[in-house]
Amino acid sequence: MNKIIMDDTTGRDTLQPALAIRNLNFWYGSNHALKDISLDFPIHQVTGMIGPSGCGKSTLLRILNRMYDLYPGQRATGEVLFDERNILSPGLDVNVLRSRIGMVFQKPTPFPMSIYDNIAFGVRLHERLSRTEMDQRVEGVLRRVALWNEVKDRLNASAAALSGGQQQRLCIARTIATRPEVILLDEPTSALDPISTARIEELLDELKQEFSIAIVTHNLQQAARCADRVAFFYMGELVEVDTADKMFTAPHAKRTQDYITGRFG
Amino acid sequence: MMASPKSQSIDAGGWQRGGAQAVRRRLVERFVSLLCNLATVIVLFVLFSILWTLVTRGAGGLSLPTFLHSTAAPGSGGGLANAIIGSCEQTGLAALIGTPIGMMAGIYLSEFAQDGRIVSLVRFVSDMLLSVPSILVGLFIYLIFVEPAGHFSGMAGTLALAVLFIPIVVRTTEDMLRLVPRAMREAAYALGAPGWRVILNVCLRSARGGIMTGILLALARISGETAPLLFTSLGNLNWSTSLNAPMASLPVTIYQYAGSAYDDWVQMAWTGALLITVAVLATNILARWWLTRNGSAQQ
Amino acid sequence: MMPHESVHTVQSYEQELEQLRSLVNKMGGLVERQVAQAITAVVEHDEEAALDAPEMDPQVDELERETEALVIRLLALRAPMAGDLREVVVALKISGDLERIGDCAASIARRAMRNELLSCPISLTGLHSMGRLVQENLRRTIDAMDQRDPELARIVWHSDTAVDELYVSLFRELVTYMMEDPRNIGPCAHLLFIAKNLERIGDHATNISERVYYAVTGNILPIVRPRGKTFD
Repeated sequence: MNKIIMDDTTGRDTLQPALAIRNLNFWYGSNHALKDISLDFPIHQVTGMIGPSGCGKSTLLRILNRMYDLYPGQRATGEVLFDERNILSPGLDVNVLRSRIGMVFQKPTPFPMSIYDNIAFGVRLHERLSRTEMDQRVEGVLRRVALWNEVKDRLNASAAALSGGQQQRLCIARTIATRPEVILLDEPTSALDPISTARIEELLDELKQEFSIAIVTHNLQQAARCADRVAFFYMGELVEVDTADKMFTAPHAKRTQDYITGRFG
Repeated sequence: MMASPKSQSIDAGGWQRGGAQAVRRRLVERFVSLLCNLATVIVLFVLFSILWTLVTRGAGGLSLPTFLHSTAAPGSGGGLANAIIGSCEQTGLAALIGTPIGMMAGIYLSEFAQDGRIVSLVRFVSDMLLSVPSILVGLFIYLIFVEPAGHFSGMAGTLALAVLFIPIVVRTTEDMLRLVPRAMREAAYALGAPGWRVILNVCLRSARGGIMTGILLALARISGETAPLLFTSLGNLNWSTSLNAPMASLPVTIYQYAGSAYDDWVQMAWTGALLITVAVLATNILARWWLTRNGSAQQ
Repeated sequence: MMPHESVHTVQSYEQELEQLRSLVNKMGGLVERQVAQAITAVVEHDEEAALDAPEMDPQVDELERETEALVIRLLALRAPMAGDLREVVVALKISGDLERIGDCAASIARRAMRNELLSCPISLTGLHSMGRLVQENLRRTIDAMDQRDPELARIVWHSDTAVDELYVSLFRELVTYMMEDPRNIGPCAHLLFIAKNLERIGDHATNISERVYYAVTGNILPIVRPRGKTFD
């Protein structure tokens, strides 16, 4: 099952990928969580990652911005190529990396500060902007996530007062405010209601014009709706990757088929 | 036919389900809630009778001279000014010393410490300090500070109070920081924030309400301490704000006056007790108000 | 169709898919019998068979409607994916093809007892062998569907060429008869329609095998089917 099926008919794999994973292995202590993964994240596309809980898809996402650095006992080997560098190499400045590869989490996590400062916080870490430049940046990203009209009159109010869906859009705004090239989303709508979910999905569709997106989701319909390409993980292995269209109508591997149709026992 | 087969299998169906057993359960429930209410009433009664006693006995001494004059010999009037200023100075300074030390230790325990021997030692020592009898703290400062210096001093009292103050702050800081969701930390790191920024701008901000409450509660606690001051700042009948000399404080003054044979001193002791109680109560209420205000802002 | 080796986590979903399979199977069996009756009626002048075949039509129609309703229900409520999605959509298309086969069979049976044919001197051997071949193809198509056998489906798909060729030669034969003697025109026209209907049944059977192949493998057979000689 180590053979990975790539869809060559679309020719998409020949594009220069935004991120290229090569022979990635990952351990939590002695637990071999990811086994020899090779996967491309094409530029300006949404790559969906699906699989049962514990299959390694979230782990993979957290490797891409070196989030695993925060916790001891975790180890990665192999290569993740981003802008001609291996992001796993120890000398890399993770703070710069994280500003170029942003991440949005499962639960909306507004910081305990105003809506304005939530966005300005990340920008101030990496850039020195004048007051007007910062105002423009904040307005720009809030418009981008279709939140501007809802919050323009209360930019100085606490972000905690926003609804769940608004908070998550704020988190996305905060992430794109640092002008990353890649956005990682870890089940970004699992805590939201259907309408907020639809808004986020619509937003992703727009954002991919500008960013390359990787999304982990438990919601297969969501992967089908949002992703251009879908990768299926099972027990730390990449079983199959293909266009969403192929994955959801005619996947190759039996395990993919079983998972997608709900036959996992 | 509204009844499902399930409900038919139970002896007494419908609203009579459970029968005698259900009736007994309801009685037990009523009895237990009665006991709980009774306990509440007792606690409130004790609290209010203390307040009542303090107000009726102490209010009589509440006058301008009490706040303006220092303690004086029996029968010659005098007030509590030196004790009030001494208490304020010692607790205030103790808080100033204790807050940064306590907070930093708490931050260390919650943010930087990997689980290891030193960490569990620090946490253990801090917890021990939390429950050490306060008179031991007084004796400790007496041994390491008062005896080498050769005299009692306000500084010694301040240090003794700080020793009591620190572990409370350590504990609340650590607890409050641990309550900050991991997801929020990760979100800050994911923006490329360095660790100190995450702690300072995100974690401490998120925990500030709780930490502030902890500090206020610690302040309330030390402002009523008598025992650690007996061997350290001793008390002073005259006006003195020097940290290098013995210093008066409300609890010690109360301790000395309350046991005396002079009516005006006893009266003054009651007044002092009322002042401390009001101050502590006010601090507590302030702390709680702060907590709920911050707590609701988080929703 | 044969169930998957692994079973759905949601039992009721599995049951609904099973129900869909059994509906399509039932329809297949019914249509197969209908075609057999129609051919018997023509070749053996069996009156009972001739009456029987059209009578089954309403039953087939009813099954088609049931299948359609179930497919819509499954699509709306279960949002089937991958293999299930293919199976459900294909079941809808197959039921359409089967219904058309039923129509063709009924049409053949209705012509079978026409007086022109009963008193006709023309040999029915050609029609007989074409009928047998179409019947055989249909049977194998339905077997392929039952057993989810893509190989068998592909074989049937290829063997429709023979039906086409038989149809062309039968057509020429009948045209020759008509030119020989104008009195043959009546019966021969009926026979031509019968042959045309048999050829159509063959086409529908091919469609079904294409769909079975797709449902099982996820791959689509080439659009251009190998065809017998036609009249270009």
